Formats: sequence, structure tokens, C-alpha cells
Amino acid sequence: MSYAIETVGLTHYYSKGTVQQVAAIQDINLKIEKGELVGIIGHTGSGKSTLISHFNGLLKPDSGKVIVDGVDIWQDKETLKNSRFKVGLCFQYPEYQLFEETVFKDIAFGPKNMKLPEAEIKERVLRAAAFVGVKPEHLDKSPFDLSGGEKRRVAIAGVMSMEPEVLIFDEPAAGLDPRGRKSLIKLITDYRKQTGSTVIIVSHSMEDIAGMADRIVVMNNSSVAMQGSVDEVYSRGDELRSMGLNIPEITEIFARLRSRGIDVPANVYTVEQGAEILRSLKNGRCGK
Amino acid sequence: MIRDITIGQYYPADSVLHRLDPRIKLIVTFWLIVVIFLCKSFLSLALIALTAVAAAAISKVPPKMLLKSLKPIVIILIFTAVLNVIYTQGGAVYFEWWKISITQKGVNTAIFTMVRIVTLVVISSLLTYTTTPTMLTDALERLLSPLKIFKIKVHTLAMMMTLALRFIPTLIEEIDRIMNAQKARGADLETGNLIQRAKALVPIFVPLMVSSFRRAYELAFAMTCRCYTGGEGRTRMKQMKTAFRDYAVLFFCAAITAGVIVLNIYFKTVI
Repeated sequence: MSYAIETVGLTHYYSKGTVQQVAAIQDINLKIEKGELVGIIGHTGSGKSTLISHFNGLLKPDSGKVIVDGVDIWQDKETLKNSRFKVGLCFQYPEYQLFEETVFKDIAFGPKNMKLPEAEIKERVLRAAAFVGVKPEHLDKSPFDLSGGEKRRVAIAGVMSMEPEVLIFDEPAAGLDPRGRKSLIKLITDYRKQTGSTVIIVSHSMEDIAGMADRIVVMNNSSVAMQGSVDEVYSRGDELRSMGLNIPEITEIFARLRSRGIDVPANVYTVEQGAEILRSLKNGRCGK
Repeated sequence: MIRDITIGQYYPADSVLHRLDPRIKLIVTFWLIVVIFLCKSFLSLALIALTAVAAAAISKVPPKMLLKSLKPIVIILIFTAVLNVIYTQGGAVYFEWWKISITQKGVNTAIFTMVRIVTLVVISSLLTYTTTPTMLTDALERLLSPLKIFKIKVHTLAMMMTLALRFIPTLIEEIDRIMNAQKARGADLETGNLIQRAKALVPIFVPLMVSSFRRAYELAFAMTCRCYTGGEGRTRMKQMKTAFRDYAVLFFCAAITAGVIVLNIYFKTVI
């Protein structure tokens, strides 16, 4: 079985050929399996955004390969074009890419570029809009009349409507309040459950990623510093800290409890989970 | 790559030309340009051309960069040279074929015009190589301030220019981002006929306009919050000061001008 996305020795330089040449990413070898939810974390400038811009061919690698579903996307023009539809990329602050007169037309932009039949486009737009929770009466409105949160949902629907096999989100929750964050994370996990597609999330919010990812890839200094399950990665807290990253606060608290000799699990990533454990611990003691 | 574009061509270095008062530099540049057009003989032109070369040498701007600034005018240079050679007649005939004859006077005029244009470009690019765009607008503001009598808001105009310059890199970055976002949705910007391509720009320019207006409002708001009320009673953190060297340069320019006039009178030869 082929991987959803595979990179082989992927390298990209900025300002190539000048004195300022720097490697944005260097020798990246990743294998992302179909249906997997992968979180990519790393501090600003670690190369995460450059990496994902290679997945749908927006950036051309200076060396190495990007293989989507078993096919090298740079092998010819047609494959490259199709890779844009196979791998949907939702940028940070996607609401700034809205431009059409109506919400409907904006969501239809992607499917239209795929040259799908009119009926199919309509069906996809309605489906994507319903999925992200855009009200049907908003479809004829100008996207610029919507609130910030609604705009983002419309923009996300605009990528989802292409129904890509891999969907990539770059900092999807940036600039949202806690409630907005939560509902967006739920949206992404629901989407994955329903469609079974591969999802990649780029973020530096450890809490967000810990709750949903199957696997975490940590980027540092233009290359992959570590990868593995959430438990594996978060158990190496000191290394993460040296890369300017933090493990979730609640995980940190539990780690300190453990170091004081209190018997609590190490793989606690959400406050809810932590509260549950503490409560049962307390009840257990009372029972004694 | 779109982000490689640089705006303005300031070349940071530590030279006398860099340290000159930008106001003086601006005045001197215009002055010298006028003098270039006063030249009537090869000798006076040579004097001003040598001045330009000397200034270039002092400026520490690499000759390569100055040559680069000449690149866009190569076509104009060739064009004017050819026209001059063909249309100016007189003196000894060097070459004749069909209706075209190349004469001594034609060749001389061609060379004269070419040197004149090159000198002009070198002098004006030296100004932009040694002065940052902000310094230039500041200088312009100060020099144009007498226009205030005519109720022209010089300060506002200068502020607009400074802001425009400041936001060019930001907008380039923004275009880059929007282009990537629309390309990710399959927008095709590279193929098709002219009309299709123009249409393909709509998804880029609408968001760009929207975000520019947003930025403009935010900036205006931020400026108001910091009590910006225009140029009235505003002082500067970096005062422009004229030093001895500035007066020396002005004196030097006067000397060059006098030299050009004298050479014009006593050696009005050649053309």
C-alpha cells in the first residue's frame, strides 16, 4: 500500500544561489499513512510551513521528492495540478483569501477549478457548508458581511469542497477564542471521522494537537527532530523545551506530581482528563 | 520569487556621500542635472562626467551596481545613438549607403548625447544608492515646506509617501500569501489568453484590496491613538544637520558650474 504522502530527502533553500542562502528544510524523510492524523509542531521558523507548502507542489524542492499516493507530484504538469486537488491546503488565517460576491461562489471556487459538472459543484458546496456549520441563508450573502469566525468556516469549507484525500491545516485555531478553538478542533476530528481522509495539522499549541493526533512530528532547525506517538514525544519534555517548545501545562503538572512520588499516569494531555484522574484519586483515598 | 524584489536601491556603506545632508544631496543632484544640460562642448561635458565618476568612486557603491542601474536605459541609449547618427548631417562623411550617410557631426552628436544620458543616470542613481527612501522623503518635505504659503499640505504628502514606501514590502508579502492560498484551491494564474489571465487576477486583487483597507484603517487608528494630528508642531528625532562638508559640496558644485560655463565660452567647438 502506498502512503498518503511520502517525502524522500526533501530539501529547500531560501535565496538560493546568493550569499544569504539558508536551508528552510533539509533532508526531510516522512511517511504519512492514509487515514492518519498527524500533528506537525515546531517553533516559528523551524520550517513547518515550508514543509507543507511542498505537499501540494506550491514550492518546488531543490532536491528530493514528494510522493503523493505513490506518484511523484513533479513528474509532469498534469500530476502537479492534480496534486493541488488531492492535497487540500488550508493556510493560516484562511479568511483573508475570500474574494467572491457570495459565500456560495467562494466555496465553489475550488470545485470549479477542478472542472466538475455544475450539479456536482452545487452538491459539494452545500455539503461542505453544512459540515462547517454555515447557515443556508448565509450562502447568498457576501462573505465580507460575516463575522470573523464565520469567515474562517467559509474559507475552510472552500478547501473541504474540493474533497481532497489529504487535508492540511496551518494553525487552524490561530486568533480564535477558547470556544472557537474547541469547536474548530471538533470540526476537524469530525471531518476525519466522517470522511476517513488523512489530516495534517501544523500548530505550536501542544494542547490542541495532543488531544487529536495519532502521531506527532517535531520540527527543529529545518529538519525532523523527532516523531512518534503523542506519549512517546511528550515523554521527552526536556528535549522539547530545549527546542523552544512546551509540553501541555497539565502534562507538566502530572510529571511534577510523579517526581514527588505520587502515582499518577504520565500520559495526561487535557485538563478534563487530568481532573478526572485527580478526582478518582481523591475518592480512592477517601474510601481507604 | 516575488519576495526577492527590493524596493529602492539604497546601498548601505560608510562614505562621505552617505553622510551628506539629504537636503543638500537632493539640491546638488538637481543642480548637476541642470548643469549637464548647460554643457555645449565635449570639454565641459567631460568635466561633469568626470565629476560623476569621482562621486561614484567616493560613494563606495560597487561599480557593478551602478552598471546595473544603466541596464534599463541601454535600449534608449542605442535608439538615440542610431537616430542621431542617421539624422544629424555635416562634416566629413565616413560611410554612405543607399539613403543613409554617416557623418562626423552625426557620430559626434551621438556620442555627446550618450555620455550626457549616462552621466545623468549615474548622478541620479548615486542619490538613491546613498540615501534611504525615508531620508529622501524627509528631505523633500523640508525643501518643499515653503509651499505651505499656498496651503499645500507638504507634511501630509511626505507622510503619504513614507507610508507608501513602508508598505510596499508588506503588500508584496501579502500578495505572495494570497497567491499561494488561491493556487492551493487550484487557481490557474499561468495559462490562458489575456482575458482569462486578467480574470484570474480577481481572486488575488479582491483580498488584497480588502486587506489594504483594513491595514489603512488600523494604521490610521494607531496613529490617532498616538496623538498624530499632522505636521503642526511636530519635531524630529533625527534632526537633519548641515555640516562643513555640505557647504564644501555646494561650493564644489558652484565651481563645476563655473567651469562648465567657462569651457562653453572658450571652447565652443565640435558640435
